[in-house]
Amino acid sequence: MRHVLPRSAAGETVMFGPNLIRPVVFVAMLCASTAARAHDESKYPDLTAQWGRAHPRAQWDPGKPRGLQQEAPLTPEYQAIFEANLAALRASTHDVDPQVRCLPSGMPRMMIAYEPLEIIVTAQTTYVRVDHLSETRRIYTDGRDWPAQVKPAFEGYSIGKWIDEDGDGKFDALEVETRHLKGPRFFDADGLPMHKDNRTVIKERIYLDQGNHYLLHAQITTIDDALTRPWTVRRDYIRKHKPLWPEYLCNEANHHVIIGKERYFKSADGLLMPIRKGQPPPDLRYFAQSR
Amino acid sequence: MRYARSIGLMVFAVLLAMMPAAARAADDLSKYPNLKGQWHRASPNRWESGGAKAPLTDEYRAVYEANLKAMADGAPGDMASWYCLPQGMPMMMSLYDPMEIIVTPEITYMLISHVNDSYRRIYTDGRDWPAEGDYEPTFAGYSIGKWIDGNGDGRYDVLEVETRYFKGPRVYDGTGLPLHHDNQTVIKERIYLDKANPDLLNDDMTVIDHALTRPWSVTKKARRDPRPRPMWQTSVCAENNSMVKIGRDPYYVSQDGYLMPVKKGQRPPDLRYFNSSPQ
Repeated sequence: MRHVLPRSAAGETVMFGPNLIRPVVFVAMLCASTAARAHDESKYPDLTAQWGRAHPRAQWDPGKPRGLQQEAPLTPEYQAIFEANLAALRASTHDVDPQVRCLPSGMPRMMIAYEPLEIIVTAQTTYVRVDHLSETRRIYTDGRDWPAQVKPAFEGYSIGKWIDEDGDGKFDALEVETRHLKGPRFFDADGLPMHKDNRTVIKERIYLDQGNHYLLHAQITTIDDALTRPWTVRRDYIRKHKPLWPEYLCNEANHHVIIGKERYFKSADGLLMPIRKGQPPPDLRYFAQSR
Repeated sequence: MRYARSIGLMVFAVLLAMMPAAARAADDLSKYPNLKGQWHRASPNRWESGGAKAPLTDEYRAVYEANLKAMADGAPGDMASWYCLPQGMPMMMSLYDPMEIIVTPEITYMLISHVNDSYRRIYTDGRDWPAEGDYEPTFAGYSIGKWIDGNGDGRYDVLEVETRYFKGPRVYDGTGLPLHHDNQTVIKERIYLDKANPDLLNDDMTVIDHALTRPWSVTKKARRDPRPRPMWQTSVCAENNSMVKIGRDPYYVSQDGYLMPVKKGQRPPDLRYFNSSPQ
């Protein structure tokens, strides 16, 4: 058995016998295999960081002013709900935003990043941690299909796929679809509503800016029965160096107290206060003695 | 033929030289123990068990008894989690809900969705303790870890962790067993898979705290869920929490939406900021 390789400078055929070929092939295969495994990890973009909101204000579409000027493509029914919510917020007549009860923002609102995001990429799952209201997303990238049964959650159930757009062997974007949501959820703090049926589907494309790897983009398309068409916005995030990771504890910082259908405020001295002029105090029927 | 051996050796040498770098990169991932999966509590959530008592100082034995009495009366005592605040360390490692561990070379994360999504970040990047102002005290504390290759086989066996910089109040378990209110606790851990059963995780914890007369060591155990794709559920404390704090006192909000006392004879809250009469 002879293995023919290129000729030598003298025109002599260079031959490797089996004794020499085997270890060379063995080492080459070992290199290829370990390099391939190592390469798997290096294929992912470097997203491991603290990402702060790049937009100064927290309305859902950062490119438009808040409130009605968001021009959300709401159905007439949900446009009326939105306008009622805005009126209620202005008058403080009733509680609209679930955050005043320390309920999670859920998807897609949590991607506003009221507090910074932390992204952790592993081959099977990408995690998006949001300290604001202590929310964590798991985006499964292990090739799974939608499970037969999922318990709905504010953050939903997310399946993602890494995309190598330019064929250079490195992933450029994470495409995500999120379903199985629970509510109540709003797009932002102005009471911009999502449908109560919670059949929202959210599609995202998360990618680093090509010219600036300190900038992260999330193109987020919401498909919801409260909308007349899919609504796409792009939100941006800035990578932070030497980040601090304080705990954001809603129940520690929350000055709202909900009793029945009424919302009250807690004063600096911890006592209950009205949030609007003339608001009556809570009914104390369960107390045997007065103060 | 005369070049064959030397060219072959050169190729072999070049490939061999290439190998360490490639192998090293792959090795970085493979030398950590496989901690993936969903971990469930496999030991009692109480810290005092089997007749062993916490080595509390006299002062903190009295604090513990006060907490027990407060809780018997329906008040939270030092249990911050009654107000949907995190359990923090070391109570969170009793895994009241399942835990996920994410190992990266720089940080090991522990995600536990109980009283909202809580987590630990254990830095294994060789850093030293941060300077004042470079951290904020938290219920989970600030953790620095070191991976140990105990038997020299090139693979890590144990994660040694030290945790400091806490806030409180924190307790060990649901009985209200207290840690010192000065929050100067130091917790040392050795986290490792059972040698005979890789689906069993041990966490040897030693707590050093001014409420104790000596360091107190307890081992917490967790068992790996055999399902390859277990479901994860999110605990949202505010969804079901009926406890509110007004002033310094706890109250319940009843199912029909009225404020209620948590204990017999409790006075109603001070409503001095209201002008009108109750609804």
